[in-house]
Amino acid sequence: MTAEAAFREARARVVAALTARFRDLDLAEEAFADACLATVTAWRKQGPPLDTTAWLYRAAHRRAVDALRRRRVRANAAFDERPPPPTPEDSVLNIDEPIPDERLRLIFICCHPAIAAEARAALTLKVVCGLSTERLARAFLVAEPAMLQRITRAKRKIRDAGVPFETPRREMWAERLEAVLATLEIAYGQAYEDAAGLSDAAGLAGEVLRLSGVLAQLLPAEPEVLGLAALVRLAEARRPARLASDGAMVPLSEQDTALWDSTLIREGADLLDRAGRLKQAGPYQLMAAIHAGHTTRIESGSTPWRDILGLYDALLHVRPSPVVAVNRAVALAEVAGPIAGLEALDAVAVSRLEGWRPIHAARAALLERAGRSAEAAVALQAALALDPPPGERLFLTRKLRALEQTPC
Amino acid sequence: MKYMLLIYADPAWREGEQTQKLMSDIVTQHVRLGEDLRAAGVAYSGHQLQPAATATTVRTAGGAQTLHDGPFAETHEQLGGYYLIDVPDLDAAIAWARRIPAPEKGSVEVRPIVER
Repeated sequence: MTAEAAFREARARVVAALTARFRDLDLAEEAFADACLATVTAWRKQGPPLDTTAWLYRAAHRRAVDALRRRRVRANAAFDERPPPPTPEDSVLNIDEPIPDERLRLIFICCHPAIAAEARAALTLKVVCGLSTERLARAFLVAEPAMLQRITRAKRKIRDAGVPFETPRREMWAERLEAVLATLEIAYGQAYEDAAGLSDAAGLAGEVLRLSGVLAQLLPAEPEVLGLAALVRLAEARRPARLASDGAMVPLSEQDTALWDSTLIREGADLLDRAGRLKQAGPYQLMAAIHAGHTTRIESGSTPWRDILGLYDALLHVRPSPVVAVNRAVALAEVAGPIAGLEALDAVAVSRLEGWRPIHAARAALLERAGRSAEAAVALQAALALDPPPGERLFLTRKLRALEQTPC
Repeated sequence: MKYMLLIYADPAWREGEQTQKLMSDIVTQHVRLGEDLRAAGVAYSGHQLQPAATATTVRTAGGAQTLHDGPFAETHEQLGGYYLIDVPDLDAAIAWARRIPAPEKGSVEVRPIVER
């Protein structure tokens, strides 16, 4: 294992344990970074330690204690007092002490619902996964100073507003877990947008896969946690098929199922199965089930649109949103024809969605199937005006050209 | 009669070059005001609040409550009262804020106080 991979592996455990112990995110992150630097040097001289995580934890713990002592001395110096005698906290850590697994606690802190969802996603990826501010800025399409400010502000709020550093009490889990899952959903949404998988946003996908897996492992009896882990895997499984060799987007129903990642599909199906056995449905399980429905095409050769429509109906019931309504309209078109789909699409409160590209793309596809080429072209132009990523732009432009060559 | 005196200021003053000096001047004046109030036999209590960026707002609308990061920002709702509570952390504060009765639509801003 390279040093870098070992650090990635150790990071969440070590930063979480230090955060729980010292109740200071910055201190935990800095101590971990310092420990990594020191390890690289030692590593070069003596080869890798037997247990890198334990080594890093001890080194980072020592550094955190030193930093705290320096801070205390500085603070006291301002008041012209002598530095205090060392406290028991300062004493050397017992080498055999196992590293406490505080990852869940750290995730709960970073995903507190009193922090704005976008900031939560960035903070979690920074603190738990160790992504740099620069990389996050590129993934979330904001300038680096803006991203730095977002993260700093979130950390300051955690500190100054008294966000608890304890794992929340059981009766608060519904709301707190919802915030955690929504955070991961946003992080994955950011990663999914970029089909090419080349940019940093797509690199996030790997982090969200890991993080959702860790969460499923820590909370095996929470069906929605399993549902989200399944959802991310089933959606990510399609990445290799989402772009043609020339870089154009391939719509889901036309993707070559041979290119789908069968390991991720199996993992996703497994997780969804386990979630189902807990007999408590929820939006993430429903979304995962929709993705799972699409994967059945691998064996049967056709998509079970009637089932998928039923799942969208259920999803619309538990988590109504115009976005879900649009996707439902597309499924309805497959079951009842393009006219029914168009009617359902028109019934969605559209004004708020004018700037949302997928509604124009969906409308274009249904209009084209209904033989209304001129209107389809208008919808395609609307979609193209909304700055699609390169693969989708290529796909939409070709569709438009094909339509313009067809006499109406 | 009891009156609540609400202090408003442009948060930019905290970021100016003279902040340190300004802050200590203002604190001195607050201390003097407190002494004057006590000397005049006026019962009072007062606190400095943490900046608005530390606020969380609990919004009630249509029977549902939602949390928002940031201060209360609706213009058509007006300040109607307050509670000052001493609890261990933000979760406890939010739990009590949720229990503050609201009409059909309303908000409660949860803002930490500067501890001295």
